[in-house]
Amino acid sequence: MKTLSAVALACATLLAPALHASDWKPTRAIEYIAPANPGGGWDTLVRTTSAVIQAEGLADRNLAPINIPGGGGAVAWAQIARDNRNDHKIFATSPPIILVPLAGTSRFNHQDFTPLARLITDYSILLVHKDSPHQTANDLFAAIKANPRLSVGGGSAAGSMDHISLAGAASAAGIPAAQVNYIAFSGGGEAMTNLLGGHIEAVITGAGEAQGQLAGGQLRAIAVSAPERLQGPLAAVPTYREQGIDYTFDIWRGVMGPKNMRPEAVRYYEQLFSRMMETDSWREATERLGWLDAWQDSATFGEFLDQQQDQFRSVLAELGLLR
Amino acid sequence: MTRLNINQLLALLLLAFSIGYLILAFQIPAFAIPRPVDSDAFPKLLGFLMLGLSLLLFLEKPAAAAPQDSETTSQHPVSGRKEIVQLGLTAVSIPVYALLIEPLGFVLASLLLGTGLAWLYGYRRHGINLLAMCLVVLPLYLLLSKVMGIYLPTGPLPF
Amino acid sequence: MDALNNLMFGFGIALDPINLMYVFIGVFAGTLIGMLPGLGPISALALMIPITFNLPPATGLILMAGVYYGAIFGGSTSSILLNAPGVAGTVATSFDGYPMARQGKAGKALAIAAYASFIGGTLSILGLMLIAPLLSKVAVSFGPTEYFALMVLGLTAVVSLSDKSLIKGLIAAVLGMMISIVGMDLQTGTERYTFGTLQLIEGIDFLVVALGIFALAEVFYMLLNPQRKNTPRNQIGSLKLSGAEVKEIAAPIGRSSILGFFTGVLPGAGATIGSFLGYSMEKRLAKDGNTFGKGNIKGVAAPEAANNAACGGSFVPLLTLGVPGSGTTAVLLGALLVMGVTPGPMMLEQRPEVFWGVIASMYVGNLFLLVLNLPLIPYIARILDAPRPLLLSLILIFCMVGVYGISFNTFDLVMLLIFGLIGLAMRLYGFPAAPLILGLILGALMEESMRRALQISGGDWSIFLSKPIALTLLLLAALSLLLPLLRKLRRNRQQPL
Repeated sequence: MKTLSAVALACATLLAPALHASDWKPTRAIEYIAPANPGGGWDTLVRTTSAVIQAEGLADRNLAPINIPGGGGAVAWAQIARDNRNDHKIFATSPPIILVPLAGTSRFNHQDFTPLARLITDYSILLVHKDSPHQTANDLFAAIKANPRLSVGGGSAAGSMDHISLAGAASAAGIPAAQVNYIAFSGGGEAMTNLLGGHIEAVITGAGEAQGQLAGGQLRAIAVSAPERLQGPLAAVPTYREQGIDYTFDIWRGVMGPKNMRPEAVRYYEQLFSRMMETDSWREATERLGWLDAWQDSATFGEFLDQQQDQFRSVLAELGLLR
Repeated sequence: MTRLNINQLLALLLLAFSIGYLILAFQIPAFAIPRPVDSDAFPKLLGFLMLGLSLLLFLEKPAAAAPQDSETTSQHPVSGRKEIVQLGLTAVSIPVYALLIEPLGFVLASLLLGTGLAWLYGYRRHGINLLAMCLVVLPLYLLLSKVMGIYLPTGPLPF
Repeated sequence: MDALNNLMFGFGIALDPINLMYVFIGVFAGTLIGMLPGLGPISALALMIPITFNLPPATGLILMAGVYYGAIFGGSTSSILLNAPGVAGTVATSFDGYPMARQGKAGKALAIAAYASFIGGTLSILGLMLIAPLLSKVAVSFGPTEYFALMVLGLTAVVSLSDKSLIKGLIAAVLGMMISIVGMDLQTGTERYTFGTLQLIEGIDFLVVALGIFALAEVFYMLLNPQRKNTPRNQIGSLKLSGAEVKEIAAPIGRSSILGFFTGVLPGAGATIGSFLGYSMEKRLAKDGNTFGKGNIKGVAAPEAANNAACGGSFVPLLTLGVPGSGTTAVLLGALLVMGVTPGPMMLEQRPEVFWGVIASMYVGNLFLLVLNLPLIPYIARILDAPRPLLLSLILIFCMVGVYGISFNTFDLVMLLIFGLIGLAMRLYGFPAAPLILGLILGALMEESMRRALQISGGDWSIFLSKPIALTLLLLAALSLLLPLLRKLRRNRQQPL
């Protein structure tokens, strides 16, 4: 179903202007930037997509993966923003493109770039120890309300993704967001180790990252931030919505280009990635990596990003972290 | 007390440094959500530690700083003008390399730096110099860019 | 006997010709990557993930594990020959390895490093095999409170690492801690000492500092000092160890292997801290402790045994709990998930071939590393034969390529220069470099775990005294501070100035 609708979407967006506008083709290798070191989420996305595109022979020129780490992405964004007419430069993106500027560490935000396509998503998941008394998200939030000292760990800095996801959920459950005692660890793995050892009460992290631990049976998931239940190994985990907390949180990933990329080039990339998502190699890769297809074309992705910005801004404001 | 000994000079330098560090530490903003220990506590502690240590260094006798390690007999290197110029040029060459690596590409910039420095240090067999640098730089480049897939600037060279 | 059966089963997998080939490729590539200053196993492994896509999980992990411990093994080479640490875990090796090379004993230093690495690696695999599930309990029992205490204990090593002037050693350590906290504070998202620079938000890379303070500063120092005495550079020396020397390093290797293994087991501690703890422990225990830093063979053996043992130890939390203890094992975990294997308590039952295959392959890999490296030592050490101008220029190239290869960022090259100049100043005015590196490794970790602990306890400081492990570690720290101070005081009283 998902793939079918992706085709439909892609066709719809392509047909109208495509007839005369899609004749732009890359004339040299396309710089495909991961704004981080090798090994992280952005890097995996860049390397996987470029490998799939190459294996399937979809692009006219190579997509060359380039790592530009630093500043949580801000170094790369600044470089791309400076090169704002380059049609041969694209980069991987995800919620930090909105969060980092809101927190005041990047001068550039998503409006300084052209959204090309949203590709995949992951959700955030709330974990407790298997022996924990909390059975549901409401149990946990009620306990936090009674005792604000209860600590919830996450894998990123205060004010960034995991913290926002948790604070938003708490706020939806009726607790002041700033009241949640969020403890920042340097990765989801470290946070889960601390949960295993009983040093903290709960952990918020990406659902994909938690799969291994959940399979081990030492940890238990009490809520996932998806709109409806996930398929596969996490099918037993209830959503926030099921538990009466009207809250969803997407850890989406997509591709963007420089601000003044010409519309023909935008069409080209849109088409390229939508064709990529139809291939068997892509399906195989997403299965291995536990990614969920979440296609959006350039225009829809842009609107989505604006909504995300509003959502994050209100959470950050509630936390008092808006700068 | 007519002339400061070397430790006292260093201590004054460190004192100035720690005061500057502390000024910055006191400007670290408080976090919106109250924390038992906020971001500024540890820098302040370090700043004061450094302050205290530089005062202690001021009082320490530099006699202990005789020959520093057994391999160097004299404490200060007997360096003349030539050595200092070499050091200065080496230091300058690093930012220059940083500037050149993007336009010239990794291979050319590294070759230029390597042969240039070897020449600066007095190596005059230019053929061997270039050959040695090629033997190091090219395999490095191939290992990084072709085997490991790290992107390095290519510059005007086709690969 | 169960372990033996399992191991036999594992060897059945590891000795399969294809797997054997991948072990070889892994350790060979790892050694090479390790030898290049700067470039470490993390980026190498991340970039290899696509290659392992199409391999069976056991083979893939065998390959990647080989790269990891191969890099730690190979990292000692450039630490010893060029004073340019190949990977973070081998910084401590250069303290005595490089002086040995300068004294014309490069061959011996490299050989000791190889033997110590082999023994440390092999012992850690034994530990991994026999007591891994047990140890995983120890690993999770370490929360922020315990880590804070451990970091404090680690920092007491400053006293033993700065023997000339304690004040100068402490200044270096504080400077190291100051460097370590540059960047965004994880607990609050606040930027500290970034001066509005984007490149500093993620902090200063450890290897940029280490390469600057050690390798670049050494080049600068050699430039200033063209006619340094006692520099019979073009002399590698014999690789052979005398019976007395073997006896001398046996105990340090054993102790450091155990210490390193346990450090590796703790998530977040890892090879770098392990090697420092091993080094400073041996320095304190040794009767000739004051010759550490001047080419003492125990000063090479201890950190090398410890860092390789820590590397093996870091597989404990990865394989038994499914949690990564370090950046490198985090990448390994990602790779395993991609290959469809979920490490963790279930792995032993579900995928025994991966678990036992990898463990058995590590025995084989360590053996490969030893027989691969020993015969190569005379050839690799020949780099010291290069004419001095060429050699200096080559060290500079290696440093810059290494630094550029970590971050792909020219900004870090400028940082390298700054730390090179700081390192030179420290050398000229008698400030020891080791405490700075120690402060750099432990400073931010100590601050972070302390603040986590206090945030969990709601600001109650008694948390550090109420937990038995933390309390024990803190008491040990106090003891290790007081004893040498008392000893020094007594000595000073005996020989009045």
